[in-house]
Amino acid sequence: MTQLAVTGLTKAFGGRPVLTDVDLDVPEGSLTAILGPSGSGKTTLLRIIAGFEHADGGMVTLGGAVVDGPGARVPAEHRRIGYVPQEGCLFPHLTVAANVGFGLPRRERRSKDIGDLLDAVGMGGLGKRYPHQLSGGQQQRVALARALAIKPSLVLLDEPFGSLDANLRATIRADVRRLLNEAGATAVLVTHDQDEALSTADRVAVLRSGIVAQCAAPMDLYTMPADPELARFIGEANLVDGVLGSDSVDTILGPLPVQSCMGANLSPGPVTVLVRPEQIDIAAKNGSRGLDGRIVAYGYHGHDAVVHVKPEQKSGLPALIVRTLGGCELPTGSPVTLHARGPVLAWPR
Amino acid sequence: MASSQTLPRSGTPGAPATPPAGRARRAQRPVFLIAASCLVAALLAMPLVFLLFEAQGAGASAVSHLIFRSLTANLLWNTIKLTVVVTALCAIIGTGAAWCIERTNLPGKRVWEILIVVPLAIPDFVVSFGWASLWTWVQGFRGAVVVMTLAVYPLVYLPVAASFRAADPGQEEVARSLGVGRFRTFTRITLAQARGAILGGCLLVAMVMLAEYGAFEILGYQTFTTEIFGEFSLSFSVPAACALSLVLVALSLLVLGGEGLARGRGRVSRSGPLVARNLPPRRLGKATLPVLACFALLVVLALGVPVGSSIYWIFQGGTHALSGVTLPTAALTTAGYGIAAAALDTVLALPMAMLAVRGTGRIRHVLERSSYLVLAMPGVVAAFALSYFTEHYANGFGYQSAPLLILCYAIMFFPLALVGVKASLSRAPANLDDMARSLGQRRLAVLLRVTLRLALPGLAAAFCLVFLSVVTELTATLLLIPTGAQTLSTQFWAYESNLSYGQAAPFALVMIAIAAVPSYVLGRFFNRSGNVEGISIT
Repeated sequence: MTQLAVTGLTKAFGGRPVLTDVDLDVPEGSLTAILGPSGSGKTTLLRIIAGFEHADGGMVTLGGAVVDGPGARVPAEHRRIGYVPQEGCLFPHLTVAANVGFGLPRRERRSKDIGDLLDAVGMGGLGKRYPHQLSGGQQQRVALARALAIKPSLVLLDEPFGSLDANLRATIRADVRRLLNEAGATAVLVTHDQDEALSTADRVAVLRSGIVAQCAAPMDLYTMPADPELARFIGEANLVDGVLGSDSVDTILGPLPVQSCMGANLSPGPVTVLVRPEQIDIAAKNGSRGLDGRIVAYGYHGHDAVVHVKPEQKSGLPALIVRTLGGCELPTGSPVTLHARGPVLAWPR
Repeated sequence: MASSQTLPRSGTPGAPATPPAGRARRAQRPVFLIAASCLVAALLAMPLVFLLFEAQGAGASAVSHLIFRSLTANLLWNTIKLTVVVTALCAIIGTGAAWCIERTNLPGKRVWEILIVVPLAIPDFVVSFGWASLWTWVQGFRGAVVVMTLAVYPLVYLPVAASFRAADPGQEEVARSLGVGRFRTFTRITLAQARGAILGGCLLVAMVMLAEYGAFEILGYQTFTTEIFGEFSLSFSVPAACALSLVLVALSLLVLGGEGLARGRGRVSRSGPLVARNLPPRRLGKATLPVLACFALLVVLALGVPVGSSIYWIFQGGTHALSGVTLPTAALTTAGYGIAAAALDTVLALPMAMLAVRGTGRIRHVLERSSYLVLAMPGVVAAFALSYFTEHYANGFGYQSAPLLILCYAIMFFPLALVGVKASLSRAPANLDDMARSLGQRRLAVLLRVTLRLALPGLAAAFCLVFLSVVTELTATLLLIPTGAQTLSTQFWAYESNLSYGQAAPFALVMIAIAAVPSYVLGRFFNRSGNVEGISIT
């Protein structure tokens, strides 16, 4: 069942369109990430869903009921949407426990539930602290507990991990995922970090130029991006020219098997081909068949390495990105041979 | 890779999808806030409207004849000469003191910090009385320069000290690392960072100079304010008072505009994270003793002389020729007016401050600017306009009544309240409101449980600021005080004018004592918030 549905949403600020035509379905119990570069309108979309802003056009429904649309505008306080903003936004004048109980009726504010909730987010026993006595990660945990306290129909997370350092981010991300699952909550996470989106969410919606360019499961998004621009946005991508034959495509990396893309009917002819960096093998030049080139740049990441290789013959071509596990022991400037493994994705050029 | 063009893009292709800077916070127009602010703005504009109305009544030719006479030129020269000299001296003393206290290892900083600011609680006319009653040379221009500088330099010190505290210390370090010497770093970075605060302080000083009456009257120095007061309350020449008021308002507007121009578009920002890291204090070394001596001298002159002189006159006793209200009665009356005006102002400032802090768009700017017009209304002009209007056009309704006086205070000190309330509301950012609403709280509950609760310390500061100003106000009080009633300042004035210094002195001391408490509270508030914009008006 669809918990949140956004259809044809538009929003402009001072005549400048921010959201032009957003469609988004969020199934009940799922965690959907809205991924987009900064300035793509992610936060605006979230604020409209939360009820802090109103859409210029289109509709937002929550559990089947229209909350924003022609003739219906449910104010934020009546939507029961848990909101976890970027910096936590704890009320500085209230203790942790009072923050968590803020949205509850007066008689429930001192109940045991709050203690349980704090235990659940790993903040047990810290209920009497004030926000300024907490670390950034702790503040985020309290903000999440506060949002869950009102038993929301939907939880919105606005780049909640952005201000945390990398190690903490991974831990908290996993905790949040677990807590949302336990609560059976439907959640929407806004982020500009593709790693975060791919690793945390069930579904990822890519917001670009005011529309949802693609909404799919993380793996589908990575392996079957709707267009070359998306391919480059989600992960690293080599986009090479090719000519489509009957059963394979001819590229500088040789003939490669083709995967059909989203049921698109590809006719033979010139195409753009996506070869992911991990689809290319690299070896020292040894005279075997393949594309010869030279290493022009080398980035070592520990678990893997990214090598940029400039093809030797066609000097006008951009360097190809190759990912090797572990690392590559060849120095910059060494001649190498590249082999690609299919199947690859192709779009008409 | 032409295929990116084949994307099914709806809407306007190529249109920028970035939200506007500052991300509009409120989708719906705060209609109630705007309406309330408009009402307040109308109230504030009242004296100015009345003044124009009265000028109209007096006849344009009569008024213009009165404006273009040699007396006006004389007054203009007197006023400008004094304003420029005192403002410059205050800028030097205030900035110097602030730098020594905030940036050097001056011994006893905590004590100096308080002693330096206390003179703010002493009314200018009491400082003037303190000096002029002891030494006869304290008269005219020379006397006015000494007295006014000592009375108002804290108006520069406070914002500049706050800006030194808030300034990014990293900028100085970067400048030094780029090979810029100590002195050049001071002029190019340190002073530049404090520029807005210095200008803001100077603006306040200049406005005080244009509005001051009591101190100049005691010193026998003639400015626009003393002349307007005389024309209106002694000679009952309304057209002349009108004409001079118009010139004074124009002069004030000129000062306001000049400050706006000088401030320019540059903003002092702190680009790094807001950590409470401070530069290691500059070692004074051999200069320690001379600097300490300067501070001691300043405190003796600004604080010791007025207070000491008042105590001296109490022990001298003197003629008891005049009868007046008792000290407790006057103190109660003063406190009553002060509390009423401060409460009224705090409430009046709320909608406009809310709009200024939260709102967007042009209406907000227009309304906020309109409140600055009040700054250009020296107390004597506001009081004159209100009293003459109620007497002659409103059939005497409200004339010389306590509500009219309180209203006049509220109008005069509105900008102060607005500054305080604005500073306090900025501690309750809008996203906390959004947060509270998403947790199911209605707007009223949000206002009470979050916004006002967070703003409370600042609201108290705004209240204190207005209360303090009312306690030490003389000019408008003299013109509008209900018959038979006396405040501390008017009773002091009555005794002082009669040369009954022994009787006047206790009133001065009580005034200082009452005003010192809110001053201290204020100092604490602005120290902690480190709000540079907090004290400077704009």
